[in-house]
Amino acid sequence: MNHLFTKLLISFSQQTCRKGFLFGAVVSKQHPLLGSLLPSDGREYKSMPTHGIGRYSHLIPRNTFTPWKVKKRRRKSLKMKPIDEGTETEYGLLNLTISGYDMNLISRYAQYAHHLCNRLRVHVCRSYALPTKTTEILVTKDHSTKMVVDAVLKTHFRVIQIKGLSATICPVFFEVLLKNQPEGVDLLVKEHTEADFRARFKSRPEMEELLAKLNG
Amino acid sequence: MAALSGVPWIRPLRRLLSHLNGSGRQAGGCRRVSVNIPSCGAQQLRKLSGGPGGEAGVASPWRLFGALCLQRLPVIAQKPSAIEEQFAQLTRQMDLENSLFSDHELRLQEEAERMRRKKDDYDSDEEDSAGQDIITAEDLEDSWEQRFKKVQPSLVFKETSELNLGSADRCLADSLLLLARQRVVDQDLWLLPQMQWQAGETLRHTAERALASLPGSGFKATFLGNVPCGVYKYKFPENVRTESCVGAKVFFFKALLSTHSDSPPQDSLMWLRKDELQSYLRPAYLEKVNRFVLNF
Repeated sequence: MNHLFTKLLISFSQQTCRKGFLFGAVVSKQHPLLGSLLPSDGREYKSMPTHGIGRYSHLIPRNTFTPWKVKKRRRKSLKMKPIDEGTETEYGLLNLTISGYDMNLISRYAQYAHHLCNRLRVHVCRSYALPTKTTEILVTKDHSTKMVVDAVLKTHFRVIQIKGLSATICPVFFEVLLKNQPEGVDLLVKEHTEADFRARFKSRPEMEELLAKLNG
Repeated sequence: MAALSGVPWIRPLRRLLSHLNGSGRQAGGCRRVSVNIPSCGAQQLRKLSGGPGGEAGVASPWRLFGALCLQRLPVIAQKPSAIEEQFAQLTRQMDLENSLFSDHELRLQEEAERMRRKKDDYDSDEEDSAGQDIITAEDLEDSWEQRFKKVQPSLVFKETSELNLGSADRCLADSLLLLARQRVVDQDLWLLPQMQWQAGETLRHTAERALASLPGSGFKATFLGNVPCGVYKYKFPENVRTESCVGAKVFFFKALLSTHSDSPPQDSLMWLRKDELQSYLRPAYLEKVNRFVLNF
């Protein structure tokens, strides 16, 4: 009997939800008696207090045994895609490297460049950051031979990889980028090479040792 | 100083000696620009430009010219407008009011407290050497002040007056365009430097020749590509027109100034902003030029 009652109430509330806008009345999706046991009609927005209430897969630790299959993140392939050479009217793969000391400025300019590419329909393959390079400045103190750390400068890098830049849009594109370049930001445009691709990976010393043992 | 360099530079974790009393270097009023993008399409353009006059028997009635749109990029950032200034001040104040004290500031406050307590209660020996440092935070600040006064900026920009139209150092916050006074048929006109195209060369090569022929040495420019950015077509007046030459087509190529010219400003060259162009260029020509000269 209770089950029947619940079913009737569910159907009633769903109907009122659909017709709510017609009558101009605000009909809440949650029935006051049944509360959150009702299945919602549509997706709830993020600001709704009960958003994501049924989520639990983030609470399960990853390495516990489960008899069913767990989605494992695939290791990204280390093989490099063949580099596009470019035709007579288009450039191949170009790397725009934006570097400088001020991280905020660098990331904002990289964002600007990316949006400019989107706007001019230039295809952006990848947009990544290279690790920060730290430079220590040491000063010799007066009347002594000891060197003291004076300052630490960090250079940040952002790379935007562009594919198939048409020769007609190329002067306009670079002119806009250069005219809006802020002070303290360097822009470097180069073709993409395998060395650039390999430079992003960490070196694996054990692997190299084993390879050397195998070969030697 | 923003620069577009052709060689990738790497800064490893290495030791540098910095000289605080460095002498101020006077920099030329333009950015170092060198673009290392590969020149592609040069062969294609050759075919295109060689077409009109190259094929046997079919000659185009149009004379071809290659012109140079040489620009000097802005050297320093523009001054913010009144609203931008106000907003910046407001956000700075809000950040300041919402922020917490840093370690250094806390230390300053502690030491000020300690000094005050010592003054009031001279005989107390409680906190004699509990946490006291020999060098107080105020001493550190003083030494920093002294070092700051010794620092001289290594890049000094000298801006010439706005009225000196021949100098490339005017209006450092805007981008300037080069105009040359050239003789076209029978009159002297102010226009973008141009050269007639000769058979067997690309139009970009023509523009490079136009650059080299400018009076005053030392204009080094980087071309932004092999593709023209604009075209201007005009017909000769009736009395000059013949069967074989009806008029002329001028193709414009964009280039950016990379090094400064050391020679004194010439009479026949002018560096103008986009809004000043209209007092020197003919209307029909100006309309075409305005389409490719970007102003932001």
